[in-house]
Amino acid sequence: MSSKRIGGNPSLRRGLGSKTTDSEKIMEDPPAGDWLALRSDQFLKWIDNAVYNAAEATGMREVVDRVTRPIFNYAQRFSPHPLHFGIMCCAIEMGQASAPDHDIDRLGLVYRSSPRQCDVLIVNGPVCEKLRPKLKTLYEQMPEPKWVVAMGECAISGGPYWDSYSVVAGADTFMPVDVYIPGCPVRPEALMHGFLTLQKKIREKEPGLFLRR
Amino acid sequence: MEITKFMKKLSSHKGVSDVALIRDNVVKLDLGKEDSKDFFISLKEDYGFEHCSLISAIDNQPQFELVYHFSVIEGSIFIKDSPKTVMIEIHIFLERDTPTIESVSDLWFGANWHEREAYDLMGIYFLGHPDLRRVLLPEGFAGHPLRKDYVYEIHEEEW
Repeated sequence: MSSKRIGGNPSLRRGLGSKTTDSEKIMEDPPAGDWLALRSDQFLKWIDNAVYNAAEATGMREVVDRVTRPIFNYAQRFSPHPLHFGIMCCAIEMGQASAPDHDIDRLGLVYRSSPRQCDVLIVNGPVCEKLRPKLKTLYEQMPEPKWVVAMGECAISGGPYWDSYSVVAGADTFMPVDVYIPGCPVRPEALMHGFLTLQKKIREKEPGLFLRR
Repeated sequence: MEITKFMKKLSSHKGVSDVALIRDNVVKLDLGKEDSKDFFISLKEDYGFEHCSLISAIDNQPQFELVYHFSVIEGSIFIKDSPKTVMIEIHIFLERDTPTIESVSDLWFGANWHEREAYDLMGIYFLGHPDLRRVLLPEGFAGHPLRKDYVYEIHEEEW
């Protein structure tokens, strides 16, 4: 490529970095052959728009979504990685659920220790006021798509501590909860049933993942 | 030192009353609030009570009661001519409008968090404590919830 092409349109060069409104205008409709003069973040946004518009206009996005949706959905359903996070006695039952008697690994549950690698947050115990901001932070650190399972009476409504001075009355007062599993404590079979319910919920939702906006 | 002799020595201290043996190796006594620090210093230096097991606070209305448990592990105190582990149980009564006492966390470092817990839940103020903050409840919590006259609905709006 010649230096003349990199230099490009003088009006485009003036627009870069001077004002954001100018650069926005240029990014929407860059002249042909002059995309080499864009900054890297502008280039990414421009190419993203271009590919999305082309895929949307030709109907390619819908086609790819329809083909890949069952595959991605199957993968999401059968690998809900929960966060290895225990609060109280329901955490013991959670450990028992992955023991050989109730081998919950066959549903694809692999406990991960970092919230960055997780899909499901299991709230298994009473959330006290001191824990609430930390739990909220853990939830926000998890990447999308994510689900929350409220396990046991304490996480559903506060349980026996609902009237207490330091226990929050239910996890759904500060984060969205998808599946409630009643029990005090929850038996491993009930936890398994809760995760089957979550699988059903993911299957019904079926989000397309190709070029998602 | 035989345990009966030890009890006699204890009762000669200032502020000590009702020295009794409530089990084979557990001595119980009542102590006045003003003489507590001198007694605790001599308890550690002279008799070798190295271990602070527990500091708990009780609200028997109207006054508060502090219960200290210290123990000496096979040290200078003998039961039937052999050194045994002896525990001492000290009761101190505090008035309701002045729930303050001198801290013992400079003598026993393990007392630090026990005193913070008693401050957090019962509102006992330990004078000379290096870091008297709440330990179980969040910062900014209003009131001390294990007091008998604590009403959550009054303090709910405050924090």
